[in-house]
Amino acid sequence: MPIHDQSYRHYGGDRSPQGRAWTVIAVAGIRTMLAKRKFLGLLILAWLPFVVRAVQMYIAANFPQASMLAASAQTFREFLDQQGVFVFFITIFTGAGLIANDMRANALQIYLSKPLGRAEYIAGKFAVLAFFLLLVTLLPATMLLITQVVFAGNLTFLAANLFLLPAIVLYAGVEAVVLSVVMLALSSLSKSARFVGVMYAGVIFFTHALYGVVYVVTRNTRFSWMSLQASLQHLGDVIFRVPSRYDTAPWVTVLALVIMVGLAAFVLERRVRGVEVVT
Amino acid sequence: MSEPLHDPLADTTPPAAPAAVGAPRQAPAFASAAMRVFDLSLGQMLWSRRTIFLALIVGSPLALGVLFRVLEMFGMGGNIRVGGASAAGATIFGGMIWILYLRFIIPVLGVFYGTALIADEVDDKTITYLFVRPISRSAILVGKYLAYLVTTVFVVLPSVVLLYLLVVPLGQGSLAASFPALLKDLGLLGVGLAAYGALFALIGAQFKHPLVTGLVFAFGWEQLALVLPGYLRRLTIAYYLQALVPHSMPQEGLGSVLQALFREVPSPWVSLAWLFGCTIVSLALAGRIVERREYVLEQ
Repeated sequence: MPIHDQSYRHYGGDRSPQGRAWTVIAVAGIRTMLAKRKFLGLLILAWLPFVVRAVQMYIAANFPQASMLAASAQTFREFLDQQGVFVFFITIFTGAGLIANDMRANALQIYLSKPLGRAEYIAGKFAVLAFFLLLVTLLPATMLLITQVVFAGNLTFLAANLFLLPAIVLYAGVEAVVLSVVMLALSSLSKSARFVGVMYAGVIFFTHALYGVVYVVTRNTRFSWMSLQASLQHLGDVIFRVPSRYDTAPWVTVLALVIMVGLAAFVLERRVRGVEVVT
Repeated sequence: MSEPLHDPLADTTPPAAPAAVGAPRQAPAFASAAMRVFDLSLGQMLWSRRTIFLALIVGSPLALGVLFRVLEMFGMGGNIRVGGASAAGATIFGGMIWILYLRFIIPVLGVFYGTALIADEVDDKTITYLFVRPISRSAILVGKYLAYLVTTVFVVLPSVVLLYLLVVPLGQGSLAASFPALLKDLGLLGVGLAAYGALFALIGAQFKHPLVTGLVFAFGWEQLALVLPGYLRRLTIAYYLQALVPHSMPQEGLGSVLQALFREVPSPWVSLAWLFGCTIVSLALAGRIVERREYVLEQ
């Protein structure tokens, strides 16, 4: 009977290059979410506005009487604004448990005992949320631009609005980064995904309600930086070169968003640790 | 020998006589069981880190109140206007109750605590320990619901009273004159907490992802239905709550929009009846679901 060598053996498999471990977390997270039927339903629902807008563009391109439905920069701005509802629910559905569930199951220590840095762990979780947010903002908006060109049968609109593609990429990117980082920071603050969801709703709605009170009292929209939602809307208006609904200086809005992301990054740096040192 | 651990759900009634030792012990009545669960849950809810955090959120409108007072102290009180006209403190207070508390804080507290009544026990895999006790399952729900009500009332009402003391004196407003309105506000917030909490307890008992469902209702359906014509707005809690608001809303801008939306409001008694009915029916349905449903704990 052969007796196998049971002593220590070196790992004989391939080693992934350093800095790629986050992709494992990202892919696993995306697959987990895509396996949920309700989430798939939400994603499909989030694409319905694209279908409606595509029909609108088809009618505008084929029936001169319906020229008032023709696309403009405002159309794309409004489309991304309307996606905000889906962005909100997808952020909660996907992001609330990203770190909170790991903390609840004490899985953070296991993750960080592997050849995986904290930054890679956060990058992997960030990629999961950002992927789904871009899936309902960047992708349909870009597809809509392509659809417009296809239905019109010429490049006139695109040539007249060359800034639109970069604007879509920039706005969708900024929105995905800001919301993902804020949600990850909140997720790292609690072990309950439900509580994280409520905190996120608080950040979005409560800051907007506070701004609403200040607006009603002062009749001045310069305080829009108080609200995360209003700040993103204002930045979108500026990026898409449409008349802004807020009088806030753009640099103030950008500064407010940068401070918010900085705070979220600080929270992540403090909270995502393999060992909790109790003094 | 060590003392036995205290079990708050155990029947603590001592056996009446040696002859009764062999007889089966009576399970506590519904009300008694609900009160024991209430006692147990109240301590857990009231002194949790989450409640402290939510108390900070709920208390944050006080910062606005302080800001308004500071503005007035430095002679900039005239800039505080509602609808373009110089506003009295009572009007600003009414607006804050409407925009911050009724439209945001009350639904959020309802969503968070209401959906968590059963779902938290399922998530923590502790629901088995409650369900194996010789008490009705619906008594557990009712006990937890009462604890929710007391906790949220303790969180919200002090914040409202402090805000009242800060904001109402603005622009020579009279605390005494608007005191009855404050009492109505406090009652109104209590009714709102009861109605939203019961509804979200029902959602928490029925759905696997109650938070998303609750948020869809509170910030999706309610916002949408209120601006739709016809009877759809009657299928919201906000429609009946706003009918009880004792303040007149601002006359211009956002205020006039709100006023236009809520021009046709039911009478206060009709609203109270609907809210009370909604609370009772939601709790009864939630109790029925909890009694019948088999909660499968994820491994």
